[in-house]
Amino acid sequence: MTKTVTITIDDKPYEVPAGSNLVDVAKFHADNDIPVFCYHPKMAPVGMCRMCLVEMGSIEKDRATGEVLLDEAGKPKVRWMPKLQTACTQLVADGMVIRTATPEVKVARENVVEFLLTSHPLDCPICDKGGECPLQNLTMEHGKGGSRMAYEDKQHLEKHVPLGTPDSALVYLDEERCIQCARCVRFQDEVVGDDVLAFHERGRRLQIITNSAPHGFDTYFSGNTTDICPVGALTTADFRFGARPWELTEIPSIDPFDAAGSNISLSTRLDRDFGGRAMIKRVMPRQNEEVNEIWISDKVRFGHHFTRSDQRLQKAMVRTGGKLSETTWAEALKVAAEKIKAAGNKVAAIAGSGMSNEDLFALKQLVNAAGGKHLGAWPITHTGAELLAQVGLSKGSNLGALGKGDAVLIIASDLEEEVPMWRLRLKRAHDRGALVVVANARKTRMDDFADAAPRYEAGKAAHWLHDLKKNHADLAQKLAGAQNLVIVTGAEGLTLDGHRALMQAAANFLIESHHVGKANNGLLSTLPGANGMGLHYFGFSPEQTLLIAKSAPKVLIVAQAELLADDPTAEAWLSKVETVISLNLFPDALTQRYAQVALPIQSFAERDGTFTNGERRVQRFYTAQGPMGEALPAWQAIGRLTEAAGLGKAKLSAAAVMLEISQTVPAFSGMTYKAISKVEKQFPDVGGNDQYYGGTAYQNKGGLGLVIPTVADKGEKVAIAMPELPQAPKPSAGEFVVIPATRLYNNESVFKPSLLVQPRVMAPYAEINSADAKKLGIEQGAVVEIKAGGTTVRVKAHVNGGAPEGSIVLPRHLTAEAVPVAITTGTVSKV
Amino acid sequence: MNTLQQKYAERIQTTLAKYPDKRSAVMPMLYIAQEEYGHVNPEGIQQVAEICDMDPTQVKSIAGFYTMYSEKPKGEYWLQVCVDLPCALRGADEFHHWLLHELDIEEGGTTADGVFTVEHVMCLAACDKAPMLQCNFHFEENLDKDKMRAKLKAWRDQALAAKRGKK
Amino acid sequence: MITVGGKQIPNIIYREKDIPNIREFDVYVKNGGYEGLKKALGMTRATVIQEVKDSNLRGRGGAGFPAGVKWSFIPQNNAVNYVTVNADESETGTFKDRQIMENNPHQLIEGALICAYAVKAKAVYIYLRGEFWDVAHELDKHIEAGRKAGLYGANGTLKDAEGNPFTVEVYTHLGAGAYICGEESALLNSLEGKLGQPRVRPPFPAQKGGGLYGEPTVVNNVETLANVPWIITNGAAAYKGIGVGNSTGTKIFCLSGHVKRPANYELPFGVTFRELLYEYGGGPLDGRTFKAILPSGGSGPIIRVTDELLDTPLTYEDLQKHNSILGSASVIVMDDTTDIVWVASKVIKFFKHESCGKCTPCREGTYWLDKVLDRILRGEGRANDVDLIANVAANMKPTTLCALGEFAANPVIWTIKNFPEEFKAWVEGDRKGPQLAPMALPSPAAD
Ligand SMILES: Cc1cc2nc3c(=O)[nH]c(=O)nc-3n(C[C@H](O)[C@H](O)[C@H](O)COP(=O)(O)O)c2cc1C
Ligand code: SF4
Ligand code: FES
Repeated sequence: MTKTVTITIDDKPYEVPAGSNLVDVAKFHADNDIPVFCYHPKMAPVGMCRMCLVEMGSIEKDRATGEVLLDEAGKPKVRWMPKLQTACTQLVADGMVIRTATPEVKVARENVVEFLLTSHPLDCPICDKGGECPLQNLTMEHGKGGSRMAYEDKQHLEKHVPLGTPDSALVYLDEERCIQCARCVRFQDEVVGDDVLAFHERGRRLQIITNSAPHGFDTYFSGNTTDICPVGALTTADFRFGARPWELTEIPSIDPFDAAGSNISLSTRLDRDFGGRAMIKRVMPRQNEEVNEIWISDKVRFGHHFTRSDQRLQKAMVRTGGKLSETTWAEALKVAAEKIKAAGNKVAAIAGSGMSNEDLFALKQLVNAAGGKHLGAWPITHTGAELLAQVGLSKGSNLGALGKGDAVLIIASDLEEEVPMWRLRLKRAHDRGALVVVANARKTRMDDFADAAPRYEAGKAAHWLHDLKKNHADLAQKLAGAQNLVIVTGAEGLTLDGHRALMQAAANFLIESHHVGKANNGLLSTLPGANGMGLHYFGFSPEQTLLIAKSAPKVLIVAQAELLADDPTAEAWLSKVETVISLNLFPDALTQRYAQVALPIQSFAERDGTFTNGERRVQRFYTAQGPMGEALPAWQAIGRLTEAAGLGKAKLSAAAVMLEISQTVPAFSGMTYKAISKVEKQFPDVGGNDQYYGGTAYQNKGGLGLVIPTVADKGEKVAIAMPELPQAPKPSAGEFVVIPATRLYNNESVFKPSLLVQPRVMAPYAEINSADAKKLGIEQGAVVEIKAGGTTVRVKAHVNGGAPEGSIVLPRHLTAEAVPVAITTGTVSKV
Repeated sequence: MNTLQQKYAERIQTTLAKYPDKRSAVMPMLYIAQEEYGHVNPEGIQQVAEICDMDPTQVKSIAGFYTMYSEKPKGEYWLQVCVDLPCALRGADEFHHWLLHELDIEEGGTTADGVFTVEHVMCLAACDKAPMLQCNFHFEENLDKDKMRAKLKAWRDQALAAKRGKK
Repeated sequence: MITVGGKQIPNIIYREKDIPNIREFDVYVKNGGYEGLKKALGMTRATVIQEVKDSNLRGRGGAGFPAGVKWSFIPQNNAVNYVTVNADESETGTFKDRQIMENNPHQLIEGALICAYAVKAKAVYIYLRGEFWDVAHELDKHIEAGRKAGLYGANGTLKDAEGNPFTVEVYTHLGAGAYICGEESALLNSLEGKLGQPRVRPPFPAQKGGGLYGEPTVVNNVETLANVPWIITNGAAAYKGIGVGNSTGTKIFCLSGHVKRPANYELPFGVTFRELLYEYGGGPLDGRTFKAILPSGGSGPIIRVTDELLDTPLTYEDLQKHNSILGSASVIVMDDTTDIVWVASKVIKFFKHESCGKCTPCREGTYWLDKVLDRILRGEGRANDVDLIANVAANMKPTTLCALGEFAANPVIWTIKNFPEEFKAWVEGDRKGPQLAPMALPSPAAD
């Protein structure tokens, strides 16, 4: 299908895809590792380091006839270029001839290596990159084995320079090691769009600098620069001097924080600091070109510390005489089982989106076996997952394939804060020419990478989309007429009804414009947590949570759902539940105040399991770290509880749970651990044992996962109800609309222990429109009190026009008190 | 508060109007910042970043690349002596050394009274008029010691008078 | 008028020699100014380009590329094209463009506008080195004069051959101290507000994606464009009548160093070194003899002065015969008091200071060469230091990204090749000891 051209590499002809990069092609089709430093397959070539020089020419053709001219020996005549050329800056063309092993090329490589080492400190024995360093590898392979530049003639520069403010730097720079390849600078600029790195000075004095305010290196993706830095110039605060790369064991895992489901690798080591048990030393990206390519956000890279936090719930607990106290698992299970047995069918569960598929299945089995009906999902901001199962982003899609002719509509989401990986990949889609429209009631970061950023009245996202054809025919036409269309909805500024209506409007728009059931089309939603889709497939929904709230069950199992931290109204109905059984990583407020029984469960890092990401990809994570205290995997804890209550038998392994899932839950048909652990060769080939992009190994050895097809994918007709457009909340005189919003860095219990990132968590604040602030006499930074949705919080006012007039944007999980779950109205006053 | 934007509104507007892209104005804006603050300081960088819609890192990067922006304070008269080959063939090195000696400073240094900074620079396109220098970017050519002494005196007097005026 | 070998030739560029105050708009117009532009506007774009091609006008910025050919690369069907004038003039020993802009600015403006018309450009940007602060501000006033008179700009009253109003804008843009911004792609980056580092080619500036803001762009030197009005007014044939062979017209020679009368001399191509150095330059300083010449500033190979050399005609072709280049014709002359190793060091300091840092060999190579030359000049040279720097310089040449790295290798390669005895003297004995102390300065900025 793709056009090919014929090129000659070291006298052998190869048929290769037209227009591809010569370095990539040589690697893939000729198994020829042209050495590179500055080139990186994810970024535009710049030809800076000069390592990839080759001899280059083209086969001569007769101008008139187009026939190939032959020399005396009957071989095609080649017109060689007078100078060596950088392979990384060449796109293959028909008749291209290169030589990569001639003496000239060899000498040039030797010389470039020698030049690079002119300034290099050669401190490999104490360098974090030692052992996985492209400079080290390429020097071995292509260097002369000694520099003629005397050590005392080298320049001596700063070591251990924090990139950013010293107390919050995530990345450190060793100036002497930098080889000025600009990979880091280009990554921030091209891939992320936060051009917060740059070179300062010039010539030999070139040095990497970053911005200074407020923390420096202000981006959610800084850690990736340390992966692609081909030397040890950039290292993370997390791993610096932490271990030697060859001591590490790579455990495949999945980002536990959001719907993207980025593939990660947990580098572990048996560590004295953790009782000699396996401990996570660093988190690295693991290549999955269809999910996160080779990138991860700083939240997952630096946010793993909660797995070892001493705040973790480590022993089973039972409440006696109003007081929770530690006990044995057996005792706790016995108490819990008795409560369940006594409750008859009045048993319900609420599960958080951090639960694995196995956990959810086990929980569902327990509740069903007891005769209970209600399986609530948490949190209750988003809904409509069933629509994602019908017309979600189609199987075979790749956000990395969206480009010219395609369109993306992002609506009611602050995508950078909610699912940073999608924001990164859709920024790239925009770069490739896709039409990106970001609709919201306020400006969000994604506006910077959008072709259009229409605004609607807060609360009226569904109305806006529903009436798009009527009110913005041109835009509607552009979206509907796109070759491929992806709609991403968030729930910002919406009630649950509002989000349902928005999902329906979006689904209908896609169906009407024939953008469902084919690759690179369909609906996405910024469902919170790693397993929002899993909740749906196992029957958990926010609507049922509301039913549970309405008529309290006798026994409520709350698993990894911190109701009190998330919802100021939960308290009111929780007190009506007779028995709360809490399974959690942390002894949260709910556990402490309401749990009769508290069961400690393991984090994603301590056990095996699977998550279903927002694209419905079922992906596996593996046991990396020794367990905390007596915590068990949730599926196991639930299984034992089921057994103790006489409602079934516990399974022995996560794999066994998954096997049963694959046999009984239709969506998961065929999804055994074996099947989802399959890997294939990916392009570009990074992290192999070769000299190519060498360095940090993030090859995927843990599986690429399998995508659950949508109903539309199966060719079935889908019809979705037209939305009922709910009323947007109307503030009465003196009131404001309060829009809860999401911040990536926050004080949720699974992120708070990330000490490295803590300084970057914003102090509690709310955005107030400058016009409103003026009217109320509120100055920038002044403390204000907001009363809304059953809560009262005190926060700093950010008066910058970020909030639409008449509204307050109030981030969740910064304040100690819960803020409203959904859009509401309330008052603001100066303190 | 963007002081530059307020104080140099007209100049900034005409400059921005020259280019289809605001970023192109970063170099002229840095000159304005340098004029306002005596050198390119973090405030200046921040304001230029706002005017040109750039990240401050990128503005600092530009300021660092070009030698005519100084991120450190300079004397009121910034003397840049060309000592490149053509000038050196006509005695520029000796002239430069003499000047340093006359002002009792080291290369790159500033006089104690803050009036003069002396730096040597690369070819200034005045090779037929050596020895020469630029004083605050104005050419001073065909210099000799006597001429230079007179100029130094005039500049110093002017600088001190201006200081007195301010008081 | 220029008199060479008894023949009278007009001053094409430095017309202020014949017409005082030609810098003023009125004076320029009174003396045939902007007639070339008007004439060009009456011609088709293709004819204008053909005329410039026929004149064989070659780029005066150094490479000598035929201007008309360059213009013909610009796609005429593209919506927005640009002309940028290279007034960076930062090559060691070059000071000709400044004189044009100071004394005959309108001729440059006119030439640039003719080019803009020919390539259908929307605007002309004149990129001046930052040190030309005063020059640029004067130039702004001159540009405004022509604009006010309705010759160009938004309110231009002239019409082109297709009957469309001629509204090309002319702007100045000041650099801020970076020789590399004379390299055309670095110049474009600088003008876009980015680091002044060269771009990878292709795409070339004349191609979509390669020029200013990604649009096809002509980059020409000041002197190149200043020739254009004369060519259009007087015709290609008349222009070709001046100069010799493939080097047509006049050239400005920037004569500096050890001569009695260093200055810019506009002379027809083909004058000899002897004429330039003695007749115009007034010969060596009293009691001295010429020893070496850098005919193209710091970047071209150095040559030893011999009788035969002095009779070499100054053309692009003839200098090649002496393993050198005419380049920008910045003729730096050194007499017998000059230490050639010191010259090499001086020039390397220039390139080290100006290396942009983008590519490895130039960034590291200039640093290295400078270190070792300093060592030699301190009298601490080691036996193999000369071979070492010769080899390092040779390694730079085939591997750098842009020509600066090649330029930077030249002073070392050619001083060693043409004056080996001077290096030997430093490393092996008779010149040991820091005799050149006052001249061998520390490098301009701390490493
Ligand atoms: C390092 C370097 C510096 C240069 N400096 C200048 C310069 O100062 N002025 C100039 O006109 N051309 C300079 N050039 C040449 C330009 O790249 C370009 O060839 C020229 O402006 C084209 O104009 P022309 O064809 O009219 O000569 C330089 C080239 C290099 C590689
Ligand atoms: S810090 Fe690393 S990635 Fe960045 S320019 Fe230096 S060597 Fe390259
Ligand atoms: S120049 Fe090609 S990899 Fe750096």
